[in-house]
Amino acid sequence: MTDAIVRLLSLFNQLDYCTRRVILDFECEDSDLLGYLNRVGFFDHLSRRVEVLPARPDFSSAILHRGKNKGVVEIARIDKDARDGKLLERLTGAIESACSNRSDAPALVGAAWTIFAELIDNVFSHSQTPIDGYAALQVYKKGNCLKVAVSDSGLGLLETLRPTLRTEHPKLAQLSDMELLVEVFRVGISRHGTSRGCGLKGSAAKAIKFHADLDVRLPLVRVLLVPGKQGYAANTALCYRNLPLIWGTHLCFTFQLD
Amino acid sequence: MNEPVDLRLRPLMSANEGWGRDSGREVHRALVEFVESRPGTLVFRVSLNGVKRVDISFASETIVELARRYRGKKGFCFTDLNDPDMEENWAAAAERAKQPLMTWTGGKARVMGPQPSQGIADAFRFAMTKGEARASDYAASVKEMSITNASTKFKQLWENGYLLRRETAAESGGVEFVYVPIR
Repeated sequence: MTDAIVRLLSLFNQLDYCTRRVILDFECEDSDLLGYLNRVGFFDHLSRRVEVLPARPDFSSAILHRGKNKGVVEIARIDKDARDGKLLERLTGAIESACSNRSDAPALVGAAWTIFAELIDNVFSHSQTPIDGYAALQVYKKGNCLKVAVSDSGLGLLETLRPTLRTEHPKLAQLSDMELLVEVFRVGISRHGTSRGCGLKGSAAKAIKFHADLDVRLPLVRVLLVPGKQGYAANTALCYRNLPLIWGTHLCFTFQLD
Repeated sequence: MNEPVDLRLRPLMSANEGWGRDSGREVHRALVEFVESRPGTLVFRVSLNGVKRVDISFASETIVELARRYRGKKGFCFTDLNDPDMEENWAAAAERAKQPLMTWTGGKARVMGPQPSQGIADAFRFAMTKGEARASDYAASVKEMSITNASTKFKQLWENGYLLRRETAAESGGVEFVYVPIR
């Protein structure tokens, strides 16, 4: 659910940025959803101009209870104007805390750190996001899975790549969105040439070791990648097109921790 | 060859985690200064003591780019890379840049990044085993291997960054190259 929450957070802030009037109506003040959103810091990052009904929470339970529950990790802000050097430490610290009993905890933490590092670095380097991005993670103890999510409100991964494909990677210019996305994570593609583009590929390699699914939401498209013997491949991917517009790139790896 | 110099990465970093291309480029500048201030040194032994993690982008912009820049002239190797997760990231960066990087553990070497191709792998093993190798020595050890062929293989290993070489006087009076591992 955390990945959906940060996507919605991005969407609501985008609409507000475009001067749309946004109203979130929870119908009752003590709804469980409202309480959970407050706990993960949703309202701390939601634009103040967005109306919340029946009322925005009086206080932030995320700030009040931060770090006290291993199963709950608050949404982290990616300040587009200033890189927070401690952000990765906070995110992976939460995983260390939640997964400390696992024998593969160091590998898991290392993989999550690399994924967050590369995805968040991309927000600064490529996204051209006009508003903040968000990072989130959730450990589902009963479901034995870990979700690692990063959202930005920029141009979108493929939109930043496609303009340069004709010159840098002409063979890839004809690929569909789904096929191109698979190549991004399978072989690595960069608008800066063939010597770059290893960040997302490397992230995918880390995730595949834990049989992680990858959910990618782009402005009008959503692609779900499932790891197979050869990693992520087009023939095992699902693609949804003509979706409602949401700016940016919204990625979520779901690690299977069995 | 001149004595190797220890190059500690952590003091050149602003934190114990190497994150992102921009910070990698800043460290790269410091690395180049370090290397250029030691013009006679051919091998730099990189220590990662104190470095907790690096991502692939940071790895690409720092030691990998440094090795690529000085390929053929200077060599860089790791001496204390014991974290498998971090090694994966260095290896991924090296692979992308097509720049091999040596890492030594307990006297044994591993090549991170692109591996020597089939045609030159045996020559590479020969040089690594002997500690230094001449084309004539290798040719003598392999059936029906000409010195010219052996020389071509070693030259490829040098050009692709797997070995360094130094010039010596051949017995015939010409120039002969001695190929050495980066250690």
